[in-house]
Amino acid sequence: MAMPKGHKSRHGYATVSSLDGGLGYREIAETMTEKGDKMNHSTARNVFLSSMRKVARDACEMMGVDPTEANLKRVSSDPRFQSGVIDILKESHV
Amino acid sequence: MKNSLDYYFKDVGRRKLLTRAEEVSLSKRIEKGDLLARQHMIESNLRLAISIAKKYYKSGCSMEDLIQESNIGLMKAVEKFDWRRGFKFSTYASWWIRQSVSRYVSTHRNTIKVPAHASSLAYKIKNLMEEYESEFNQSPTMTEITEILGVTENMVKASLDSMKFRHLVSFDSTLGNDEGGRQILETIPDVNSVTPDKILDQKRVSDIISASLSKLTKREEQVMRLRFGLSDIEDSRELMLDEEKFNEIKDKKGEV
Repeated sequence: MAMPKGHKSRHGYATVSSLDGGLGYREIAETMTEKGDKMNHSTARNVFLSSMRKVARDACEMMGVDPTEANLKRVSSDPRFQSGVIDILKESHV
Repeated sequence: MKNSLDYYFKDVGRRKLLTRAEEVSLSKRIEKGDLLARQHMIESNLRLAISIAKKYYKSGCSMEDLIQESNIGLMKAVEKFDWRRGFKFSTYASWWIRQSVSRYVSTHRNTIKVPAHASSLAYKIKNLMEEYESEFNQSPTMTEITEILGVTENMVKASLDSMKFRHLVSFDSTLGNDEGGRQILETIPDVNSVTPDKILDQKRVSDIISASLSKLTKREEQVMRLRFGLSDIEDSRELMLDEEKFNEIKDKKGEV
């Protein structure tokens, strides 16, 4: 039986290697644990994705896109959206 | 108000056409150096010059210039006309006029002046290529073109390059024939410019996302900043929008 084909993103994938200084989930878990917030890599990933979905929900509402789970997942994992969020975080940091 | 060309056409239209006998008589006087006869001959055939010039109007040159070149051709024809051959003057003159106008058009219709011999060679090459393709169903090679036309490869290349200049349009030229019309340059969109409505949209999206970020818990924000490689996670929280600002933006969004 053929294996499932999986999902192919239309706009590529957001990866750590594409971000300057970005950390992997294991490294994030280690850093957070050191700071006193004990977590493993799965938790780090879940926390990250859930926070991205929160941001994506407001963006979806504003753009008139129905904030269904599927849409939120699609928008939050879109590298273009993540790149926009990074820009805003950087700006707010200046 | 009528322009100068209308007056010119009206003036030329008043002149009588010459009969065959008058043409011969004037030609004889011209041969003897009679300048008045020459002038009479030219003025009587100005209508012919205009009618030929009009055929080249679509080339893009101004009508005044075309008529001027046409008249130069007419003057040359008057000088070289041989009444003994028995042809009518108009038959002979039309060739000189056409040659003069077509040469002017070929050298002046473009922004970049292409020499007449280069245009002529380009025309020959084009014809040769068309004939060759229709006969052999393939394009001739450079060697074949040079052998058939008896010219060098460099000349062929230069002539073919000159053909590319035929359809140049100046950015400063106006659209249509209106003097005060818009220039072509004004109609080309700047792909790099950002429109004011786009800037406003971006600002709004940016504000909404900033407000959303402010709703994240400290833990979520820290993870996000670590993931994106943004340092100083401790004090970043202070710089984000507060709840009040977020609600304000949400309200604004509802108004649109």
